[in-house]
Amino acid sequence: MAKILIVDDEKGLRLGTKRLLESEGFLVDTAENGTEGIAKGTSQEFDLAVIDLKMPDIEGLEVLQTIKAKYPNTVCFIATAYASIDTAIESTRLGAYNYIPKPFTPEEILHHLDIGYKHRKLLLEAERLRQEREVSLLEISYEKSRLRTIINNINEGVLVINTNGELAYFNNAALKNLDIPDLIIGEFVLNKIPKGISEIVNKYLESSEAIKKSYSTQVDIKPNFELVIEANCSPIVDEYGKISGIVIVLRNISDFKKIEMVKSQFVSMVAHELKTPVAAVSGFLKIIMDESLNVSYEQQREYISRSIIRLKGLLDLVNDLLDISRMEMKTKQREIEKLDLVELLNSTIQFLELELAKKGIEIIKTYQKENIYFNGDQNEITRLFTNILSNAIKYNKDKGEIAIKVFYSTNYINVEISDSGIGMKPEEKAKLFQEFFRAKNEYTRGVSGTGLGLTIVRRIVDSYHGKIEVESEYGKGTTFKIQLPINN
Amino acid sequence: MKITEKYKKILLVDDDIDLLEQNKLLLESKGFDVVTAESGEEGYNTFLAEKPNACVVDLIMEQHDSGFILCHRIKRTELGKQIPVFMLTSATYETGFKFSSATEEEKEWIKCDGLLNKPVVVEELISKLENF
Repeated sequence: MAKILIVDDEKGLRLGTKRLLESEGFLVDTAENGTEGIAKGTSQEFDLAVIDLKMPDIEGLEVLQTIKAKYPNTVCFIATAYASIDTAIESTRLGAYNYIPKPFTPEEILHHLDIGYKHRKLLLEAERLRQEREVSLLEISYEKSRLRTIINNINEGVLVINTNGELAYFNNAALKNLDIPDLIIGEFVLNKIPKGISEIVNKYLESSEAIKKSYSTQVDIKPNFELVIEANCSPIVDEYGKISGIVIVLRNISDFKKIEMVKSQFVSMVAHELKTPVAAVSGFLKIIMDESLNVSYEQQREYISRSIIRLKGLLDLVNDLLDISRMEMKTKQREIEKLDLVELLNSTIQFLELELAKKGIEIIKTYQKENIYFNGDQNEITRLFTNILSNAIKYNKDKGEIAIKVFYSTNYINVEISDSGIGMKPEEKAKLFQEFFRAKNEYTRGVSGTGLGLTIVRRIVDSYHGKIEVESEYGKGTTFKIQLPINN
Repeated sequence: MKITEKYKKILLVDDDIDLLEQNKLLLESKGFDVVTAESGEEGYNTFLAEKPNACVVDLIMEQHDSGFILCHRIKRTELGKQIPVFMLTSATYETGFKFSSATEEEKEWIKCDGLLNKPVVVEELISKLENF
């Protein structure tokens, strides 16, 4: 139902028109002068308005303009008794849809309003479409900027190259991954990107048949694993099955490469450490077998017993390696229980009694309390103490001593094990926890070991979020200070 | 001249006492005189004192490059320049460096007259000495 506003200072015409239009089903409101017309016409949106041109207070054209300014889709007619071409042109220029000459018959005004109302519906439809279009444009630009933001902020570099080898798209990470200061969209880039990548791109571009597979390659951008990238190249295939470009995704794999290198160094160290005792044993056996060497029976016995020592060392090494591997894979089932560290230390000392007696080493114990409890895995903590204590024996002097102190500090249980042994040079101390590092100096001849004992100690302490420190003076002795967090 | 007369006294340097003793025994059985040392420092002192006719030096001893440094020190002496000095190594394993494919420049830099693979085979040493 169309809403219409009649603005006219002539009461008879105003009320007559109102009655007529209401009987035709319009919703009619009236204003008796320009001021009221503006007030009503701008307070709510009417479908249609019929405005008298000449009114005592405000001219109809001004009322028209004011209403149109607020509601451009209100279809307005100017009614005038002074119809002239000029006023007609002027009123339409100012926004009137048409003008209605006075006096008008009911048929005339209904005809005008009928057309005007159809126009009003068109205006509203156009408005709706315009708004719809604006919303979808907004969405598209939002979507575009969202994609751009995402691609620009991912760690993976993205390059898109067209079939002419020209750059179609790139993101910031691509510059970083390739260590290139800048690229320009549209420039020929095959000579700017690493050879390994451009070779793959050329393979796509030069092939007569579209290659649909992806290829990847690894490129050292900076030496010494400082920047290694993996480039994954995939073709962009259009709807006709032709290649229209290549997407290259670049990933920084420097850290993986570093880990890989550390692993492979470890493997070659292990291989070396395994090979040496095998070579020694096989050398002894060959000598014993070689009749031309005429090795005496006593000598043969000695070589066999030395072989046994090397084989025991080899077995220890394999066991240590297995322990480390279990710790790394976390397959070792931990059984955390309430342990008495005093009791564990005493039983470890007992276990090592034979070695202690051989060297005549005295143990001095200072325990702050009779029982000092810690929640941990008994095997691990025993291993921790055994490794440190057996070092304190091996690297001690004959008739030396080992001092063991256990005491509480604010958040930690402190275990300090000092020996009166050979100590370490600062450069030896620095390498102490490295796999297979074993101090070699004038005192260490004949001391056996796998080179993994302290590596295991460090891993155990770390796994309990504890700390380990070493103080040492060459020729005087070494102190290991272990702090385990109080946890019960 | 027999090889054992030309290179009568051989200096063996290795920190693995078992391998050291085995090689000493094997070389002595072929007729060489063998003096031994267990570290780079001891090796250099023994070299100066014993004036050997050839040296076999293990690469990795107390440090990863102890054998390397010992070769350099020996080759700086007048005697060292005249006698064959071989480095004993399973080098690719230990260093990642492919000695077998070293360039002339690299060989110059390595400062030894040849490489022997561990565990040393006495026959290999003899053939190296014969070709020196």
